Amino acid sequence: MKVREVHPAAWWLWSLGLALLASRTTNMLLVALILAMTTFVALSCRRPSPWSSAYLVFVKIGIAAVVLRVTLTALAGAPIGTHVLVTLPQAHLPHVFAGTRIGGPITAEELALSAEEGVRLLAMLACVGVANVVTTPSRLVKSMPAALYEAGLAVTVAVSIAPQTVAQLRRVRAARRLRGRPTRGLAGVRGLGVPVLEGALASSLALAAAMDSRGYGRRVPVRRGRRVIASTAALGGIVVVGAGTYGITGGGPRWFGWPLLSAGAVLLVTGLLLGGARSPRTRYRADRWDVRASALAALGVLAVIATTASDGDPLLTPGDPLAVPNLPWLPAAAVLVAALAAFLDPAPRRAKPTADPPVGSAPLRAAA
Amino acid sequence: MTTLAPPLRPPTSVRAVQVRWRSGLALAATSVLGVAAFLWPLFIGHGAGIDGHEADAPFIVAGLLALLLATVLAELADGGIDARALAMLGVLASAGSLLRLLDPRIALTEGMVFFLLAPAGRALGRGFGFLLGALTLFASALLTVGVGPWLPFQMLGAGWFAFGAGCLPQRVHGRAEVLMLAVYAVAASEIYGILLDFSFWPFRIGTTTPQLDYVPGGSVATNLHHFWAFHSATGVGWDLLRGFGTFVLVIAAGRPVLAALRRASRHAGFEEAP
Amino acid sequence: MIRLDAVTVTLPGRAEPVLRNIDLHVPEGELCLVVGRTGTGKTTLLRCVSAHMPHITGGVLAGHVSVGGRDTRDHPPRELADLVGVVGQDAVATFVTDRVEDELAYAMESLGVAPDTMRRRVEETLDLLGLADVRDRALLSLSAGQQQRVAIGAVLTAHPRVLVLDEPTSALDPPAAEEVLAVLTRLVHDLGLTVLMAEHRLERVVQYADRVAHLDEDGRITAGDPATVLEHASVAPPVVSLARIAGWSPPPLSVRDARRIAGPLRERLATSPAVTRTPSAFGDVLAHVRRASVVRDDVTALRDVELTVRRGEVVALMGRNGAGKSTLLETLAGLLTPTRGSVTVAGATPHKLTSRNLVRTVGLVPQEPGDLLYAATVAAECATADTETGLDAGATAAALDRLLPGLLTTRADVHPRDLSEGQRLALALAVVLAGRPPLVLLDEPTRGLDYPAKARLAQWLDELAADGHGIVLATHDVELAAECAHRTVVLADGEVVADGPSREIVTASPAFAPQVAKILAPGPWLTVADVEAALEAAS
Repeated sequence: MKVREVHPAAWWLWSLGLALLASRTTNMLLVALILAMTTFVALSCRRPSPWSSAYLVFVKIGIAAVVLRVTLTALAGAPIGTHVLVTLPQAHLPHVFAGTRIGGPITAEELALSAEEGVRLLAMLACVGVANVVTTPSRLVKSMPAALYEAGLAVTVAVSIAPQTVAQLRRVRAARRLRGRPTRGLAGVRGLGVPVLEGALASSLALAAAMDSRGYGRRVPVRRGRRVIASTAALGGIVVVGAGTYGITGGGPRWFGWPLLSAGAVLLVTGLLLGGARSPRTRYRADRWDVRASALAALGVLAVIATTASDGDPLLTPGDPLAVPNLPWLPAAAVLVAALAAFLDPAPRRAKPTADPPVGSAPLRAAA
Repeated sequence: MTTLAPPLRPPTSVRAVQVRWRSGLALAATSVLGVAAFLWPLFIGHGAGIDGHEADAPFIVAGLLALLLATVLAELADGGIDARALAMLGVLASAGSLLRLLDPRIALTEGMVFFLLAPAGRALGRGFGFLLGALTLFASALLTVGVGPWLPFQMLGAGWFAFGAGCLPQRVHGRAEVLMLAVYAVAASEIYGILLDFSFWPFRIGTTTPQLDYVPGGSVATNLHHFWAFHSATGVGWDLLRGFGTFVLVIAAGRPVLAALRRASRHAGFEEAP
Repeated sequence: MIRLDAVTVTLPGRAEPVLRNIDLHVPEGELCLVVGRTGTGKTTLLRCVSAHMPHITGGVLAGHVSVGGRDTRDHPPRELADLVGVVGQDAVATFVTDRVEDELAYAMESLGVAPDTMRRRVEETLDLLGLADVRDRALLSLSAGQQQRVAIGAVLTAHPRVLVLDEPTSALDPPAAEEVLAVLTRLVHDLGLTVLMAEHRLERVVQYADRVAHLDEDGRITAGDPATVLEHASVAPPVVSLARIAGWSPPPLSVRDARRIAGPLRERLATSPAVTRTPSAFGDVLAHVRRASVVRDDVTALRDVELTVRRGEVVALMGRNGAGKSTLLETLAGLLTPTRGSVTVAGATPHKLTSRNLVRTVGLVPQEPGDLLYAATVAAECATADTETGLDAGATAAALDRLLPGLLTTRADVHPRDLSEGQRLALALAVVLAGRPPLVLLDEPTRGLDYPAKARLAQWLDELAADGHGIVLATHDVELAAECAHRTVVLADGEVVADGPSREIVTASPAFAPQVAKILAPGPWLTVADVEAALEAAS
């Protein structure tokens, strides 16, 4: 008996909750804990898909960001602290570049602080990376509200036909060689790109015919009231969000902003949920929101609560003076508990070695 | 012998996806808020309601922007996309995201997305262009598992880009049209690069590089200055290379790409007779 | 069930109507086969019934088409989705999703069928079409026959009462085609579906048809009992052609019926001398594949393949879809580099040649002939091909005129993509054959071609061989292989499993035997032309 996958939205709540926690801390110990936890969850829950190794890509981008930040600090940072490691020759850039100073003394405190600020980004990326590898893209699109049906379908089509487009690119390249045409350089790009585009457009007409014949675009009458409510909620939501934005950026009294923003968000969600009723569409084996999904989402919410509750000092470590930070117990506990996700939605065991090659992975890899 | 194929003149009106008053209103309002979403760090004075939430703000902004974007996509799509436009959207979004996938390390191929979006917006209209820009970035995020808080910003930016290409004057055609498109593509992709950098910048609240970092509550001038320094230290070379790549591609292949898109658009019956 | 009254159709951008004043009535529960020459409007006729014409394709339709009482004028295809299921030739092009189950459910989702009903119907359809063990698979990882069955299943779940199929088996190898046809007959017999189907390979389907509608060059229709209509039709399967020269009337439609009346013919032929079409000696070795293996997308597509092609020899490659036929052709054409082993063509290594020199050595018509074409009109394509290959102006146009006479005069300004399947193939064949490369490689060179065009192609290949060219064709078309190949090589799973004179190979296995061979077995005759020659020699 196969176990159903947990609703993708639950995974996103989990991941964004932890990302929020990560974004608020510069505590190296906590960040290391988060990274260990996300790696564990990603490895035990990732789906067998061509992109299951993408978690590493997120981590690599994060590391690149840390390196970039530390380098920038070393070259153009403000000297903090007293432990000077090395002193570089100094120069001032013209005023257009904000009078940035280049070179000068580099201190240990300065580097430690910039690394701490950098790893926070790394931890956030790792959290988002988990959600990317444990949910399948088509399921994410499938669970969008009915109002986004058309947009979601276009994305489904785009993702499903990508391997075909790659295959076509190869075929056109081969055909050009057969007729003695160049396949490299600008002329090659033009000679390849245009036929591939024409082929893709021609196949889109065939696809449109097939979709139409299978009932795409049928309409059912909808009560006028529902449509009016849906579009009022949508347009009203935009306006209220606008007012709220004005509020929080300092336009109105302090209490004015947040409630309005929240109300606007609620209106927008209502509009999306009520909209799209003109299409009679139903869903085949839709993802269900079950107990596991609620538990997973609760873990994410817990992380947010832990962040808010322990706001301030324990999360942010002073770079100056240099010291080993203490581990704040509440957020650390939240991070540890979040690792339970690995047991809520474990990856399917590899009963049979993948007889089914993942969706068009080979041509995609060939293209990349 | 029958007559020659008609010359490929831009049609007077293309209605792949129509922008009606309601979707137009939603798009306009969201765009205004979108500008605010990109540039909010500049406008927050001390004592504003955001105090104490500087670190969460980027998340909240990204979340709200995603909701707004979803609303606009829903309004644009509501009953207004027939099977042909939808299939074409899917196919072009797929082609666009593959162009982006070819080699993300090379700025030239990053420019290839814009190289496809600009003629598509022009040949198939601005409503279609906006949807295509936004959905291309979404599809490519799914293909490369790059979904994250940056995605709504990218989608909105790319949507604007192709929408803008659809707003260029219709009467220009021939070589001038390709040149116009190339210049537009370069300018707009530079703006896209700057805006995207801006949306990411507030995540850099820090103390170590004060001349490059966002200062919550700082004056507009200070923050602009800091941003400019940050941008020139990190992104300008990339942006210029991408701009150059886009320009060369549009000049080299803009004409046949426009012709192919217009042929498809005529086949799908998107055009009204002049 | 399907009724066409005085239907005249003009396609967009064309002055002459493609169908003129058509009347056709297909009662419920019948399987009606639409036949006709290349480009006579078979696809257009089917599109009228599926309401794609004019709602999706554009163009002008005069007269009335009604399906199950719904007039297609007021009912666009989506309003017929619960009544008419449409299946095309290229299943992959119609897939909306990427998994088998999702694809089967798509039509029901857009019709708003309740979730539990959907689940039940998907299970039923999986069983009906024998797809249950691949339900979780990615569509692109299925075999071509499975993909075509998924495409049929994807429309069946909406419970239509009419199926419209445009060449559902032309891309399939004989066993996969049998699978699909078996499913179709089952649907007609068990579920009482009405089926309207166009097909070029009549020998595969004609025995299942209750009615045949024949379209002639002027866009007029003759419909009726299969034997009666085919007796005088412009296209005929080998069994009917044989009946014509043997004087059987009405003609038998299946091998079984023909064998029962073929006794006297077999006796007459027994006295005539055996025909040998095989030239006594071929020239020197033109192409040589030595123990070549090719790995493609992590899959070994060819394994230790050994093949020689001599000048003057026509070699047919046969085998299932995915057996490695196309890979072998592409390796010979220098598009793929063998992982092990070596390839030489006319003394050179093809994958090391520059594309300019490659054209002078090898010509390949790929499986998707449209890939080879990139000019904006048919005339421009011919002109480009002339200059590219260094031919006299008009050489390619002449070649095209030889394959499909009249195409260039009527459709010179059409974009190659807007041609019919067969016309596009003929254009690609003309582009390659006009250059007369020493080694000619053809991948499925008969998709969408009618019998007369096939005969002209076979004739031309014979001439090229006689001139000392080497020819390799990969095909599922046993009739073509029987007609013009001297030698047949059977591939399975990337390995050569049989290699020998066509006569021996094709008669040895029922899957590869042409109809004439099956009817006249154990005689040595493979094609109608063989029999004709033998009868002449006897008299």
